[in-house]
Amino acid sequence: MNQELIEQYVAGSLSEAESQAFEEYCLANPEFARQVEYEQRLRAGIIHVARGSTAEFVRSNHPMRWNMAAAAGVVLALISIFYIWNRLPTHRPPVMAAVTTEDQRNGAEMRLALVRGSDTAPNLQSGIVRVEIVGLFDAGFHYSVALDRLEKNKKVDTVATLYSQHPTSPTTLEVVIDSDQLRPGAYSLRVRKQASDEESLDFGFVK
Amino acid sequence: MDFVPGGELSRRIREGDVSAESELIRQFEPGLRVLLRRRTGGDYGLLQDLVQETLLVVIQRLRGSGIDDPQKLAAFAAQTARNLAIASLRKAERQRTDVDSEATERNADPAQDVEGVAADLEAALAVRALLRELPQPRDRLMLKRFYLDDHDKEIICQEMDLTEAAFNQALSRARRRFRQILEERGFAKRDLLSLGL
Repeated sequence: MNQELIEQYVAGSLSEAESQAFEEYCLANPEFARQVEYEQRLRAGIIHVARGSTAEFVRSNHPMRWNMAAAAGVVLALISIFYIWNRLPTHRPPVMAAVTTEDQRNGAEMRLALVRGSDTAPNLQSGIVRVEIVGLFDAGFHYSVALDRLEKNKKVDTVATLYSQHPTSPTTLEVVIDSDQLRPGAYSLRVRKQASDEESLDFGFVK
Repeated sequence: MDFVPGGELSRRIREGDVSAESELIRQFEPGLRVLLRRRTGGDYGLLQDLVQETLLVVIQRLRGSGIDDPQKLAAFAAQTARNLAIASLRKAERQRTDVDSEATERNADPAQDVEGVAADLEAALAVRALLRELPQPRDRLMLKRFYLDDHDKEIICQEMDLTEAAFNQALSRARRRFRQILEERGFAKRDLLSLGL
């Protein structure tokens, strides 16, 4: 398989039979499939950028302007980190943590799964709740779990993030949440495979 | 990752080996994303759902009755994904037909369009970064003509006075850098939405 064939597949110029053979080759060769996926994403990204205007493809370079913007961004980020750091609570138990004790394992629980077309979100009860996230997880990877509060104006406020979590089975990842520290509202657990370019999976619930 | 033949994976999953299920997911997931990305029209949520659904169907089948020819496990998984994509498309078509079109127009919300194309945002951000970095305006124009206008390489080379080797080299450099940018950033979809892109 060569680059030209990848280009033809992504551009949609292979016949149906050729496309099917190509796809089966991708399934048997994950590294090759990743290469194809980058080509698909490059094309999709270019189409997206050009959706409004193609000016970015024909403009001249302004390196100074970008350097100054980057420097201003770094300064702003440092000030923000300093501000947030000084306001972090010091002796409060974490809102979200890994499951570590038998009490947590045998206590209240909530199950979250991606159900296509479902309109209702599960309800988080009060107290310490073990949350069982159901999906397909790769035991060879670490996962990060971010707890987001979803505001009415579509703003997202990240309440807590756990890194380096191991799935308890190929279909389960568990965390505990101290529900009493959460205000009533809509929340989402954002699960992401670390050290990979895969996008996160969102599991919604309400308190 | 070493390739594990379909026959061996099928046998181990049938015997209850959980690590074989993980291997199957690792092996097939990238290929399924390629196959389904093409059939989900940029809807990343649907793409993820269908990848998971396909893997679950395949694993459940292997745990249970198995497949006729375990050596053709990849072909079986690919066909399962295609069938699920077709079923999902039909379902969406039916839902579209049922919708009151006037009511839909009345409720038109531009923000929903942004959500709808959210899957492309990560790639779009990387493309923007790539376009800023490309030293030659000619390289940016070349990408536009190749990917956006779907012009043949030969025509682009002729009109831009490039040899095919120079064209391929520039394209390969752009692809490499695009991949690097995505790997370096590793942004989640929601992070990008919060940036207002």
